[in-house]
Amino acid sequence: MSRFFSFLCCCLSLALLSASPPRPNALVTDPHTAPLQEVLVAAAADLKFAMDSLVKAFSATSNDISIKLVYGSSGNFYEQISNDAPFDIFFSADLGYPQKLEQQHMTLAPIVPYGTGQLVLWSKNLDPSKEGMNTLLLSSVTHIAIANPAHAPYGQRAEESLKHYQLYDKVREKLVIGENISQAAQFASTGAADVGIIALSLALSPQLQKEGKYWLIPPATHQALKQGFVLLQHAKGNEGAEKFAAFIGSARARAILKYFGFGE
Amino acid sequence: MTDWQPLWLSFRLAFITTVLLLVISIPLAYWLAYSRWRGKAVIEALISLPMVLPPTVLGFYLLIALSPSHLVFTFTGLVIASLFYSLPFMVNPLISGFKSLPPALRESSYTLGKSGWTTLIKVLLPNIRPSLLTGIVLSFAHTIGEFGVVLMIGGNIPGRTRLASLAIYDEMESMNYAAASTYALILFTFSFSILLIVHLVNHHFSRPDPLS
Amino acid sequence: MIQFQANKTLLTSSGRQEMEIAFEVEKGQLLTLYGPSGAGKTTILRILSGLTSISSGYIAVDGEVWYDPRKKINVPTQRRSIGFVFQDFGLFPHWSVYDNLRYALPKGEDPHLMHELIELMELGPLQHTRPIFLSGGQQQRVALARAIVRKPRLLLLDEPLSALDDDMRHRLQDYIERIRRHYDLTTVLVTHHLPEILRLADEVIWLDKGRIKLQGAPEKIFPGLANSPRAPRT
Repeated sequence: MSRFFSFLCCCLSLALLSASPPRPNALVTDPHTAPLQEVLVAAAADLKFAMDSLVKAFSATSNDISIKLVYGSSGNFYEQISNDAPFDIFFSADLGYPQKLEQQHMTLAPIVPYGTGQLVLWSKNLDPSKEGMNTLLLSSVTHIAIANPAHAPYGQRAEESLKHYQLYDKVREKLVIGENISQAAQFASTGAADVGIIALSLALSPQLQKEGKYWLIPPATHQALKQGFVLLQHAKGNEGAEKFAAFIGSARARAILKYFGFGE
Repeated sequence: MTDWQPLWLSFRLAFITTVLLLVISIPLAYWLAYSRWRGKAVIEALISLPMVLPPTVLGFYLLIALSPSHLVFTFTGLVIASLFYSLPFMVNPLISGFKSLPPALRESSYTLGKSGWTTLIKVLLPNIRPSLLTGIVLSFAHTIGEFGVVLMIGGNIPGRTRLASLAIYDEMESMNYAAASTYALILFTFSFSILLIVHLVNHHFSRPDPLS
Repeated sequence: MIQFQANKTLLTSSGRQEMEIAFEVEKGQLLTLYGPSGAGKTTILRILSGLTSISSGYIAVDGEVWYDPRKKINVPTQRRSIGFVFQDFGLFPHWSVYDNLRYALPKGEDPHLMHELIELMELGPLQHTRPIFLSGGQQQRVALARAIVRKPRLLLLDEPLSALDDDMRHRLQDYIERIRRHYDLTTVLVTHHLPEILRLADEVIWLDKGRIKLQGAPEKIFPGLANSPRAPRT
């Protein structure tokens, strides 16, 4: 039995030791002396492919800064940040959320708009440009994926467009809700949903371009998806965060964003 | 190119949780097995709750409880959550183990002048090794599989709270099906192997009497 | 010398039963508790050892008070100088015979008593075997040795020989008698076996429904069975 206990003690010490491992990417409080700075970025899900490219481009110039990305819906991030989630920068698909954070004095710098998002109809098996919005009324369309309107801006706008075309009540039963816009896109890309109302930025990605076709929903049918990012209080003193924020304003970054459909 | 960090995080969480649970559960299970307090049923029900409660309910209450101390979005917060989440998987096998021991074992130790503590360490625990193993393995495996609670209070932060179970979800959302599939296969193989080991060991322990 | 008085409400298969018992046992004597199942025999052993509680009563052994509710005395089992052989022996399965005995030996005590008992009970060749590999009679001897190795004042035996064949039974009765004489142990034995009572007991208490029905020397209680070999007391 004492052998068991020695084993248990070894495990306990191992467990406690591993609770603070000396790892190269450990979050440090003083970015000035650390070899690797960490920046935690909350990015709206529509930026999935655009942000990956942005981070790649940025890392090529400054490889001592580690950008950690978390994708999700803007509304969810707003909630988490309001509850002191340790993010340094918040990229939101709707300016409304960063504005609320500003009012709550949780921001470090002014909000910087970086583009306007667009809605598209995307389908793996159908060509939405043939019927436009009426594609949704086809009998072969049994499931339509949208992002959760409760906390995803693209979901809210999708609802608005549907109502504008007076299609909302007709297709309501077919709607399938994704956690955020990229889950909605995933439902559509596997064919689980026959059509998805997703972000242009995702439709323009290499994966989705290959898999299906899209049709741009006229922007006039919904409120604009003005996107913006903001440095948060947590980023105070984080040079890496400031550098990355500055990079987004560069010509290179603007080009990437434009490529993914974030027109001005 | 698999990112091993989520798997390492999941493993670390499960390991720390299991060790802590062992320390907490032995006295707790002992008390529940042998006490005659009438309020026991309430405690037993509370302990077993995480087995039947939707993880989102547990996540919800944990979010409220942990927010003031800024433990949400931290690894430590996940450890605390896992302690609640996996507690019944350690305590219940131990209680069964203790209850399956003939009362004469404990009582004869007392008649030999040994204290409750000595009896627990030297007589009872060595005779419930299968239950200890079951408890350890089940809590470990259950913690590896944690998803709903982690989603709600973890924040999915890479290197800190992005466990393997969340990583699969992320990769699926990003349509990286190959990566998702790799994680899924690793976790599946791991869970299956561990359960196989438990069953094999339990068969070994319940071998028929060698004299018969 | 044991002074015993106990009042307790028992829950038996036939409903609630009031137990009211009082008796005394002289030092070195063997008292047998006899009676139908559920009469309370095992309960008395458990009360004497502190494993079962009572509502009122008095227990004193060799002048030391073990239970007196008026003075709020209730010595826990661990501190009562007893050796208890349970019906199912209670041997520790994860230890050998030797380790079972060694556990029972109090800290700092000279192990020579342990070796003496191993010899006395003919357990030498079995010392390093685990209980699961022993026969009923062998386990019985281990349980007896283990109960005695701490030199208790009181030996409590709960139907210790019930599962054995006659030959083994007879041999173990010899052991019990031998040990009792050798260490002058006051003993309380629970048994159904009449020849055993006649052989070993100095005094018999016949219990029924929680009360003493008859009490006295075995020849008096069971007059018809007086013709059985019984070693005369010196």
